[in-house]
Amino acid sequence: MEEKYTSVEMKDYIVDAGAETLSLCMNCGLCTAVCPWRMVPGHISGVFKIRHMQRLGQMGMEGFEDEDVLFACTTCGMCQSNCSRSVKVIDNVRVMRSTLVEAGVLPSDLKSITGSAHANGNPWSGPREERTAWQEGLDIPAFGPDTEYFLFVCCLSAYEPRSKNIAKSIVDLLKKAGVSFGVIGNEESCCGESMRKIGDEELWQRLAQSNINLFKEKGVKKIITTSPHCLYTFRDEYPSLEGEFEVIHYTELLANLIKEGKLKVKNSLAKKVAFHDPCYLGRHSKIYDEPRDLLKAISEVELIELEKNRELSLCCAGGGGRIWGEVPMGERFGELRINDAVEKGIQVLTTSCPYCVNMLEDACKSLNKDDVLEVKDITEVLSPAT
Amino acid sequence: MEKNIGLYICSGCGIGDVLDVDALFETVNEADVSPAICKSHDFLCSKEGVEFLKAEQENEGINTFVIGACSGRVNADTFDFGASITERVNLREQVAWSHPSEGEDEEDTQMIASDNLIMGMIKADATLPVEPYIKEDISKAILIVGGGLTGLTAAKEAAKAGSDVVLVEKDKQLGGWVQGLYKQAPSKPPYTELEDTNINALIADVEGDKNIKVYTGAVIEKTKGAPCMFDITINQAGNNIEERAGSIILATGATPYNAEKLTHLGWGVTPDVITNAMFEKIAKENDGKIKRPSDGKEVESIVFIHCAGSRDEEHLPYCSAACCVESLKQAKYVKEQNPAAAVYSIYKDIRSTGQAELLYKQVQQEGVFFIKGEVTSVTEDGGMLMVEATDILTMANVYLEPVDMIVLATGMVPTSAVGEIIEEKGDEDAEKEAEKEIVQETNASTGTIIKSNLLNLAYRQGPELPELRYGFPDSHFVCFPYETRRTGIYAAGAVRQPMDHRTAIEDATGAALKAIQCITMTSDGMALHPRAGDLSLPDFEMSRCTQCKRCTEECPFGAINEDEKGNPLPEPTRCRRCGTCMGACPERIISFKNYSVSMIGKMLKNISVPEDYEEKPRILVLACENDAIPAIDMAGINRLSYNPWIRIIPVRCLGSLNLIWIADALSKGIDGVMLLGCRHGEDYQCHFIKGSELATIRSSKIAETLDRLALESERVIVDEVSIMDYDKIPMMFDEFSEKLEELGPNPMKGF
Repeated sequence: MEEKYTSVEMKDYIVDAGAETLSLCMNCGLCTAVCPWRMVPGHISGVFKIRHMQRLGQMGMEGFEDEDVLFACTTCGMCQSNCSRSVKVIDNVRVMRSTLVEAGVLPSDLKSITGSAHANGNPWSGPREERTAWQEGLDIPAFGPDTEYFLFVCCLSAYEPRSKNIAKSIVDLLKKAGVSFGVIGNEESCCGESMRKIGDEELWQRLAQSNINLFKEKGVKKIITTSPHCLYTFRDEYPSLEGEFEVIHYTELLANLIKEGKLKVKNSLAKKVAFHDPCYLGRHSKIYDEPRDLLKAISEVELIELEKNRELSLCCAGGGGRIWGEVPMGERFGELRINDAVEKGIQVLTTSCPYCVNMLEDACKSLNKDDVLEVKDITEVLSPAT
Repeated sequence: MEKNIGLYICSGCGIGDVLDVDALFETVNEADVSPAICKSHDFLCSKEGVEFLKAEQENEGINTFVIGACSGRVNADTFDFGASITERVNLREQVAWSHPSEGEDEEDTQMIASDNLIMGMIKADATLPVEPYIKEDISKAILIVGGGLTGLTAAKEAAKAGSDVVLVEKDKQLGGWVQGLYKQAPSKPPYTELEDTNINALIADVEGDKNIKVYTGAVIEKTKGAPCMFDITINQAGNNIEERAGSIILATGATPYNAEKLTHLGWGVTPDVITNAMFEKIAKENDGKIKRPSDGKEVESIVFIHCAGSRDEEHLPYCSAACCVESLKQAKYVKEQNPAAAVYSIYKDIRSTGQAELLYKQVQQEGVFFIKGEVTSVTEDGGMLMVEATDILTMANVYLEPVDMIVLATGMVPTSAVGEIIEEKGDEDAEKEAEKEIVQETNASTGTIIKSNLLNLAYRQGPELPELRYGFPDSHFVCFPYETRRTGIYAAGAVRQPMDHRTAIEDATGAALKAIQCITMTSDGMALHPRAGDLSLPDFEMSRCTQCKRCTEECPFGAINEDEKGNPLPEPTRCRRCGTCMGACPERIISFKNYSVSMIGKMLKNISVPEDYEEKPRILVLACENDAIPAIDMAGINRLSYNPWIRIIPVRCLGSLNLIWIADALSKGIDGVMLLGCRHGEDYQCHFIKGSELATIRSSKIAETLDRLALESERVIVDEVSIMDYDKIPMMFDEFSEKLEELGPNPMKGF
């Protein structure tokens, strides 16, 4: 057997840094069993066992700092939503990562990400002044004193060409429904959600503080987010920095607008459609029905559930900084999702998170299934129907 | 008493649909014993049905009822006609519900019913009226031995229920183990805060109760007699005091396992390796401050080793049930004194049952390290203790940072296990006689008596309660907690089973109820559980006794003493009416008014045995009424159909089996005999301790009888069935039937 030394100091350090429920773990191992990494083969799946990683932290033992272990977690939340001791596993992961980040140790593929977020206010190495480039020709109002909602667009949709279309579709729908909304512009920064999950607590605080100051200065009261990640950090984490706003994900808003008759769905779509629940919309924010309501509003849509749906939804592997991780083909969660959809004869796989669209579309292309299956944001289906 | 027998058949519950009742009356009227009146009713257990029967008693002078209806296990209160004798014949579960009513088999089903009725008639005819055994000058007081939490609680509860109590405690003060505790584990919401024990309030309650007489600094010198007639000699400071009691509760608790045997866990390395009892004393004496014995330094780091000597085949093989929570509590003492202290628990499993899970969670939250595994090394380095252990949760050998102190959570040894081992006389294993040594831990087999100096029984069978396992004097922990193998003496608390405070309090209350029940029933002449209410007692036809002592030796409850010549001297109030003595007696001189060797003999001789085997073989099943009969009834309730050649006679216990029954059955041409009892061996289920075990031993001697009859020994089998195994009943019968078919017909048929 391996030899290990316990360290009270190390354990106390982790607990004090925010892993408050670490001690409650009784090592039953349910977390490891329900972790999506169990569903794929390969090196990371072999070395990353969340129960074991937490156990090492619990005992102040060395070993958790191995890159493939510590940075494998996608923060999908399957473990903590099933934990019998209500251990906040993701907080523990985040804190254990932060112990390394604070010491300046970060996997190389993440260094450029946090570097860009520091320098440009976004992790995608996009120049700050090009943040609003996606809005060209859309005539989007600027947020002002009389605007009801501030529309916050995820950095991925602001910079990445494919993802820009999601932002455009959302704007189209908001306009059609006559919502009073506006954007701020280049001063906006990344919400910081992924930076915090990577373990860069300081960076998250800086980004969050800058946003909070900006939003307050502009008189923002209500925010529409395009990504569930922004939703989560605005709604659940910004209040700890005195950033209290009414935050809503576009699926919630649009579902309401349709219900109230303010948004009319005119065209039909005679296709088999499925909805992939993003972890941060579903398990983390408990929004399951609204996106389905949007699809049901389109006539002739045949809504089919994927094998793992709602509370048990399978992660796309894009959370927790994993969107920047390299995983060999055959080990990607998205591939399981695509295969499931194709087997069920689904023609359009919808979701409502820019990360999920990105990860699932990659998987679809790498499996050469893009001729039978389209991956779309839900608004990209809804917008042409209205 | 002139018998006036009335046979009443109920046609309800489907009986009338399956059986031709009028034809049954005809058959019964042709039998040796026939009823004065035969009548049927379509709903006998209804109000009208019972009124009808009562009218028969009044108008027709019926004083012996044979009721062919449901199983005797149900509606016992309904069919109770006072002084009249009532015999129940099972036509429902064992006939109508378990055998077909149509086609060729109809005739066979009818034959089962007529055999059952004829046997029931014979039994009713042979049953004599029973006089209850009621003595004057009985005591209704309860003697409680041990004044700890269990004894005090039992005393308080018994007194509250109106009983007089005599409480004997060997120490100068009451309170026992709990008196030495600094705090106790949480007993109320939120179950996370330690509490004062409150034992002094309980002591005050007991001392202030005028119905409770307390002797402290006193021991039991001698206990003789029987339920409602126990004579107890109490020795208090050299003076002997006589008390009389109706029943006894043994609540002498447990002692800690000897830590000197735990050198592998660090005992003796330095004085700072202590037991949980020593730790508790330090906490109590210093008002919660934990200081090292070696130099008085306040403890900043500590290791608690759970299961120290427990769940360990080399030491105590069992779990002591309370030590996990006690160790959690003690860990909390340290954390309360110094939240930054490094506290480790090395455990096998955390067994924090019930609400104690919340204490476990609290202690985890306070930062105690939990290491699941085994201690591999304890050494000393510069006044500090170095501990290595395996941690199966990281699959690693773990080296702890040096600690100030180690606490061994030693387990419980029942006080009844401390003393010299005496084999119960008559036990098969004589080798153990030689092994007379002082032992703390014991694996001796069921029936061993250890001279633990607690009750000092003046019983022929030995001075203390026989142990079940590991020195605990329980008799049947699965079904009958508190009961021991001595009638009227109940064990409660840690002497019965390792347990925590909460369980001890429950135990005390339960045992108090049992003790009260014992007195109430015994004073009315009734048997205790499981033949609760039975008034019959064994009669000994002493003129034919050969003083062989088998009855005294085989009685599972030590109910029979003997005189110097070896004549049995029954103590009636100790008797549980199992009939083991009746089965033991080679001269067949022991019988009950309502159960005897000749009665069962006559019954089985009246089973009709067709001469043509190919068509109608016959199999006799002598079935234990405690497990086998309920299982057979359950098979019927679940409408499982079984072999039509089977004829079932219930027996009180297979221990009452007399070999003559088997010889008689086979002589008559019955093809095979199955003795169906309960499971015996380690986790036995016998309500009378060892009935089926005795039957197995006795029937192993049947070969001789069978040889004499020139029969194959396979014609007699002993089988075991548990009450839950009713679904296996049809298969068991079929397998035996097939085996008998291979052997061919009993050649005695037709003789």
